[in-house]
Formats: sequence, C-alpha cells, structure tokens
Amino acid sequence: MTTPSRIDAQTNLVLRIHMVWRVLFAFVAAVAILMLWTGAGETPLWQKILIALGAVIGIGASAYGAFQISKRNHAGRMASLALDYLGFVACFVFALNAGEFFIGIDALGETFGKGVPYLGITALGYFLGMLEEYFPTKNKSAESSLKTVSRWVMLGGFLLFLWQVDALNGIIYFIGKLAQPGGLIAVAGLAIFGLSLWSMSRPNVAQALNVKTGHEQIINGWLFLSPNLLGFLIFFAGPLLLSFYFSFTDSDAIRAPNWVGFENYAKILNIKFATLDSPDQLARDVVDIKVYDEVGRFTFGNTGILFAAADKFFWLALRNTLTFVLFAVPLSVIPALVLSNILNSKLPGMKFYRAVYFMPSIAAVVGISLVWQWLYNATIGYINYFITLGIEFWNNLFTAAVVDPKIQWVSDENTALFAIIIIAAWQTMGFNTVLFLAGLQNIPGELYEAATVDGAGVWDKFWGITIPMLAPTTFYVVSTTTIQAMQVFEQVFILMNPPEGPNNSTITLVLYLYRSGFQNFQQGYASAIAWILFIVIFGLTLIQFQRQRRSSIYES
Amino acid sequence: MKKNLLLKIMGLLVIASFVLAACGSPAATEAPAETEAPAVTEAPAATEAPATEASSADVALRWRTRPDNQEEIDVYSQISTELDTQLDGITLTYEPGGSEGANYQDQLRAEIAAGTAPDVFWIPGTDVADFASRGLILNAADLAAATDGYTAADFYEGPMYHLTYNPETGASGDGSGAVWGLPRDVSTFALYLNLDLIAEAGAADPRELAANGEWDWEAFLEVSQATRALSSDIYGYGASAWWGPYGVWLNAAGGGFFNEDRTACALNTEESLAGLDFQRSLYQDYDVAVPYGEDPEPGFRAGKVAMFQNGRWATPGVRTVDFNWDVVELPAGPNGTPGNWLFWGAYVINANTEHPEEAWALVQSLTTAETQGKISALGANIPSRVSQEALDAFLTFTPPANNQAFLNGIAPAAAPTAEGPLWAGSWPEFDKIMDPAIQGVLTGATTVEDFGATICDEANKAFNQ
Repeated sequence: MTTPSRIDAQTNLVLRIHMVWRVLFAFVAAVAILMLWTGAGETPLWQKILIALGAVIGIGASAYGAFQISKRNHAGRMASLALDYLGFVACFVFALNAGEFFIGIDALGETFGKGVPYLGITALGYFLGMLEEYFPTKNKSAESSLKTVSRWVMLGGFLLFLWQVDALNGIIYFIGKLAQPGGLIAVAGLAIFGLSLWSMSRPNVAQALNVKTGHEQIINGWLFLSPNLLGFLIFFAGPLLLSFYFSFTDSDAIRAPNWVGFENYAKILNIKFATLDSPDQLARDVVDIKVYDEVGRFTFGNTGILFAAADKFFWLALRNTLTFVLFAVPLSVIPALVLSNILNSKLPGMKFYRAVYFMPSIAAVVGISLVWQWLYNATIGYINYFITLGIEFWNNLFTAAVVDPKIQWVSDENTALFAIIIIAAWQTMGFNTVLFLAGLQNIPGELYEAATVDGAGVWDKFWGITIPMLAPTTFYVVSTTTIQAMQVFEQVFILMNPPEGPNNSTITLVLYLYRSGFQNFQQGYASAIAWILFIVIFGLTLIQFQRQRRSSIYES
Repeated sequence: MKKNLLLKIMGLLVIASFVLAACGSPAATEAPAETEAPAVTEAPAATEAPATEASSADVALRWRTRPDNQEEIDVYSQISTELDTQLDGITLTYEPGGSEGANYQDQLRAEIAAGTAPDVFWIPGTDVADFASRGLILNAADLAAATDGYTAADFYEGPMYHLTYNPETGASGDGSGAVWGLPRDVSTFALYLNLDLIAEAGAADPRELAANGEWDWEAFLEVSQATRALSSDIYGYGASAWWGPYGVWLNAAGGGFFNEDRTACALNTEESLAGLDFQRSLYQDYDVAVPYGEDPEPGFRAGKVAMFQNGRWATPGVRTVDFNWDVVELPAGPNGTPGNWLFWGAYVINANTEHPEEAWALVQSLTTAETQGKISALGANIPSRVSQEALDAFLTFTPPANNQAFLNGIAPAAAPTAEGPLWAGSWPEFDKIMDPAIQGVLTGATTVEDFGATICDEANKAFNQ
C-alpha cells in the first residue's frame, strides 16, 4: 500500500505534458479519421470502418485519460499506459515491416544452413564450460581459465555463425530501410510512445496519481496477458469478425467488396421440394432449372419427391460431411475405448503398444494420405493384393468360387467416402485412446475392489463403473472428434483425384469452402459457407452438452 | 547422477549432429550450385542483394513458373541466371513455384490477393480469361505494339487466339488491342506404349497401324483387348481423371465441351455423347481400362498397362522404366481426327507490377526459341514458337524414338483443339459441374442418357457469370 505524497514540481510538469500528449493523441486520431473519409484513397469500406472504430476508441480513451490525469486519478494512468503500450507495439511492428525484417527472415532461411555448423562451435564452448561440473578440480585458476576459454569459444562460434549467414549485410540493409520516411515515422513513434510509457511508469508519477498495490497487480497482469490477448485479437477474433462481414459481401479477395446483404446465405439455403409424376421425371419438368439443380430424389413406387437447390454442391457437401461424422466418430471412439481398457492393464510391453497406437496421430496428414493412396490403388495397391491372395487361398482350400471384388476404393462413388472414413478413424483412434487412458487412470481403484467384493464380473464392472465414470472423458472425446470430423479436408484433398470424387461423393463442406474461396475467387460466398458450418458444429456441440448434462453422474 | 548422464548424452548428440551437418555442408553447397544457387544468392535480393550485388539502378523482377520436377527447376534457375546477365538493367529472381500436386495455382491466387505475387508468372491456358477479366494480369498490347519484330504469328495459333482475345471487341490476333501474355510451351497427348506387353499379346504394333493409316478406335480396342487378355492384373489402357483425357474422345467423335463460339455447353450433343459412350465402354463394357479415378501411371511404370494416355510432360518419368516403350498418336475417331488437345500455358505480367516494360522484356526473353529449346531438351514439352528449326530439334530429344507422334498431335492436319479459357463464362465453374458428372458416367454410376439429359441444364449456368 502506498501513501499519497506531495507532488513535486517535476512530477507536476510530467503530468501536464502527459495531459497535452493525450489531447494531441486524440487530435491526431481525429484528423486521421477525417483524412480517411475525405481522402481520395481507395481504402475499402470495411477497412475504413475498422480504422475509424479503432481511432474513435483511441480518442475516447485518450480524452478520458487526460481528464482523469487532470483530476489526479489513477484511471488516467491506466488509460495512458494502455494506449501508449498499444501504440508502442504497433510502431514496433511497423518498424520491423518498414525495415523488411519479415522478408529478411525468409532470406535468413536461405543462408541459415551455412551457419549451423558454427552454432556447433558455440555449443562446444558451452559444454567446455560445463566440464568443471562433471570433473571438479581444486585448482581454481584452471577452472577459471576453462570458463574464459569456454566464453571465447562461444563468442567466436556465434560471430562466425553471424558472418556465415551474412547477418551484417542484413542489419545494414535493415537500418538503410529504416532510414526512409516510413521507417523514420515508425522509429519516431517508438520513441514517443516509449518515452511516455517510461515516464508514466515511474514511481513518483504513479504516486502522484494515487497508485495502490492492486493497481500495479492489474497492470502486471494485463502486461503478461497482452502477448496472448493481442495474438488472439489480431489472428483469431479479428479474422473471425472479418469473415462474418465478408459473408455479406461479394468479396473476391482482390477488389473492394460490395455489400450484398443476405444474398450469399439466401443462395445457399434456397432449396425446393417438388413432387415427381414418375421416378425418372427430369428435374427441369418440375423446377425452374435456371435456378435449381437436382440434389437427390426419393422415390415411392411410381412417384417421388425431388430435392433441388440453388447451390447443389453445398447440400451434397453437407450430406457427405454428416455421413462422414456419422461413421468416423463412432469408428474412432468405440475402438479407442476398447483399446484403452486393454492398454490400461499392467501387462509387460504396454507402454510400447501405447506409443505404437499413438503414432498415426502425430504423423503428417499429407504423408499418411499419400501412403493410403498407394494402399488403396485398385490395380497395384497392397489392400486389394492381400484381398486377392486371401480369396485365392480360400478358393484353393475349399474349392470355392468366391469372386475377387477388386474394390475400387477411391474411384467408386460407393466406397470413396468410406475409404476416407477408414483413414480418419485410424488416425484419430490413437489420440482418443490416450485420452481414455487418462480418464481410466483417474477412476479410483476402490470402486473396482468394492464391485469385486460384491461379486461383479468384468462386464458388470465395465458397464457399471468404467462407462459412467468415463462420462466426462467420453463427452470430451466425442465432442472434439465430432468437431474435427465436421472439418474434414486434408485427407479428401490429398487422397482423391479430383477431390470431389466420382459424382461428388467426397465433396465436404470445408473442401467446398476452400474451392469457392481459394480457387474460384468467391471469398464472400466461402465465408457464408464457413459461418453455416460454424452454426452446424455449434448446434451439434450444444446437443452433446445437453445430453451430457442430463446423463452425467457428476451432475446428479 | 541420472541428470548428468542425460546431459552428457544430449551434449554428445548435439555435437555429433553439428559435426555431421558440417561434414554434409560441401554437398549442400555443391548441389545448389546448379539447382538452388540462384535462389540462395538471389532470394535475399529484396533484403541483401541490393546492397551487395545488384547495381542500384537495376530493376528487380521476380518471376515464377510451375516446374514438374527438380530437373526443370535446375534448368529454369540456369535460364534465370543467364537472362540476368543478358537483360540490361534487370536483376532477376526465379521462384520455382509448387508443382502440380503442391497447388501452384492456389498459392499464386493467395499471393495475388495479398499483393505479393511475382512480376511475371505462368498460368495455365484455362485461367487466362478469369485472370484477365478480374484485372489481375496486364494487357501488354501497347508494349507489344512498340516492340520490333513481335507478331502473334510466331507462336501457335490456338494459344495466341486466346492470348490476344479482346473481350470488349471480340477481336483476336495482331492489332486486337489485347496481349495477355506469351505461351511458355505447348503439349499434346500421345499413347505411351509398353511394347513388350503388346508383343506378348500378339497384337498389332500401334506405330505400324498409325503409319499405315489404320490406327482408329477399332484398332485401339483390339490392342486393348488383346493385352487385357494377358492377365487379370494387366490393363490395355489407362488415363488420368481430369478433363483432358476424356475430352479427346468427345472431340474425336465430332463433339466437344462447348459450342463453336464457346458460349454454351455442348456436352449433350449426339457427337459428344457418342464419344463419351465409347470411352465408357472401355471401362464398363470391355473392361480394358484401369478403373477411372485410379492413377494409371504407377501401373504403367510397373509394366501392368499396355497403353497409357498422357502428355509430353510424362516423358521424363517414363524414361526410367525397364521395359521397351515408345509412343504413338491417339487413334482417329469417327470424324477422322484423333481429337487431340493443344495444351499450353502462358507467361503473363502481374497487373500490379511496378516495371511493366522490363516485365514484358522478360516475357519475351523467356519465350525465345533458344530458351524454349533448353526447356524442351528435358523432354517435358514442345516449343510454343512455330519454327521448323525448333521442331527439328525436338525430334532429337529421345527417347521416345517416335517423337513425331507428338508433333503429329499438334499438326494442323490433326485439327487439335486448343486448350482455352471461357471468355463468356467461368471455366472453374464449368469444370466443377462437368468433371464429377463425367466421372459418374465412366465409373458406371450414371448412364450416358441420364448424363445427356441433365448436364447442360447445370453446366450452362457457368456462362455469363
């Protein structure tokens, strides 16, 4: 707890300068807004709105800060610190960008390999310094010499490394770029915001603004939180909101987007059901074929119902995605549950098997998909090869005439999606097994002992203890696996050629989204698909939450 | 104690890895001498090269093309280095874009959207209209008009029709007011033959049949059936699953994807359906083809496919097989021609380049007969310049011995259909509708009649989008 003290003249001056700075800051932000909206630049509307919104918040916070500083309230210090901190970070990033630091990182990637061996010399120096820990000696001067040699070796190695990666030229180039107008403005901003931060964080200024211990804790807390928070806002929340805005535009990611309202959503959700006079009646006879395409038909005897949509690919993708979820989730959860119970036993070698089952989860999806592509090959793939061998063996052994199915795993519309389900289930199962294992190891052993005393068998214990006690884990596993399955993309994209598969049998929502946004220049439409996908996933997760609440033994 | 031991082991491992890295460094520096050396020295151009190597007056240009393999990357790197010295005042950085599997186009589109695309880049012929109409590539008509000796007639007519097409006037050719780029190369389909399998089956040699003018669909089916009869795991024919391979059957029957002026779908015409039906029969009725959708190339390389339909770009890969092979032109269809494609892609200029004149100079340099000859020597493609000298040189790039089959494919007599964009619609949208539907037919899920009854209702929506 600090006590307010008399404010000296110097502190008073600093506070007055801060007030002026806050007013100036608000003024500059206001001018920036004015220039943005009256200027002749081609800034897209969404960027104007976003910048203006940020500037208005800045003006408000800055004015509030000035007012509170004039009242000698600590809230003014908090507002001032927050604004200056954000300004400092922004100027820092601008300075790096102005100096082409990020391009330089790419360039470093090209030369880094040449410097790696010299980093080895640095490591050698480090281990040299550690020798005395392993081979202690009473001779202190020898120990000291060893440490000196170690330091010089490390320094030499590092300098050689910098020389090899051509760091000097990079630094000179960086400084040269910074010396240009954009860079100088960023550096000036860094200096101003940095100075303001430094002066506002000084103890006498803090005391003049009636700082309390709690205030410092709050500031420190936000400071530590800020890297993650800024990262979240810039790289997650920002794009998320942006994609929501884009979903109401005709954005192609290149030209300025035009506001189209709900047009994208309306097209996606524009569906029509029509009665068919005969099962093979053409779609054009019952729906406006200039608007709708046939998605599917349900026939009953001599009649039927046609399902048509303005965007049939979305509905086919939704159908395939839901089918994928329906099969892939149980196939990756139920075997994982069984497997985890087996691996939870105390038999020798279980740790090895746990690692083996986990390996597919950590392997790269692209690599795995390529391997499976070879395995699935209908003509020279190993899966069909072993099926053929098995059938020949069976036919020879029993003089049977079983026909080799020669399954076209990825080229037949009836099996293509199933082939992807197998890969996904195989890959996810290991991770789910580990989660179940963790859950199993949290179940108190006393419960099983009591059940044994009561005469319960293995099956009874599994149903009566394991399953209910694993409910939270099961809920987590099912929820995350479902969300993951709804977003299936990589396996389809790599394995299938073309990715949509025969008769669109493997087109999925994320694949369609990718196709629309990144291949057909329809970013606005793709954003609308993404938000509908989000709503579907959110709905499914909500249902799971409700079911979990109803059935959870912990709730009761 | 355990901690100390662990530290020791880790220390030894780290040192060992660095020593190994140091030992490996000569190889790592030698290999890029041919392959990545330009990238190593030029990639930092944006950051370091200007300060060290390039003259301050030099204009720095980045350019990119889609290589199919490391050999092509090496040749393009070498060409970039050579042009760098030849083009006064221009410093070049060659960026080997991703291969076909690495989605070259997707990456390029993302970079265009981000404003970081190179000054000059390659795009496939089907993308030209889309890129031009969105204002992503520069119309170099004024630059071309001011260039001594430039004429569209120096290149194959098919690609230049689209590359000089003016969507505002509908005119094409010199003086149309549009030059969207220059073709990097051209290619066409042929049938890669496993001569050992064909001989084993006792079938007629397709090259002889072609020489005698007897190489038609009937003869093709006979060879396919004869080789298929060899074993249950040997196929007579194989083709990849995209629009190129199935398109030739439609073209050869007198049909095609579009009507004559490319403003509407023509997939449902009698001729198109006849071509599609013949191809379907290869898969479904005669069972001579590698199932549609399965990659036939591994099977061909493994000696399990007698005739493999692919472009010139497959040649480098096929050269590694250990059986006797050659190529033959595609069989003639009912309309008397093989219905082949004239594939092409073009070097175009980024509409946002700061140096259009220099970029145009680079595009011209990249498409000279000399440069194209160096690329063609690899065997992956055919020069896009109409030059007897270039064609004569191409014939020497063996194997295959029968290189003439490729030239026959693009000869005017074969009336190849030039790959091209849809100026009156969206090719990606059209392809999105057509491709899965045709795959449905070729895998037996949809009948040709059902396909013909509905396909153009859907595909016509791709026009005037």
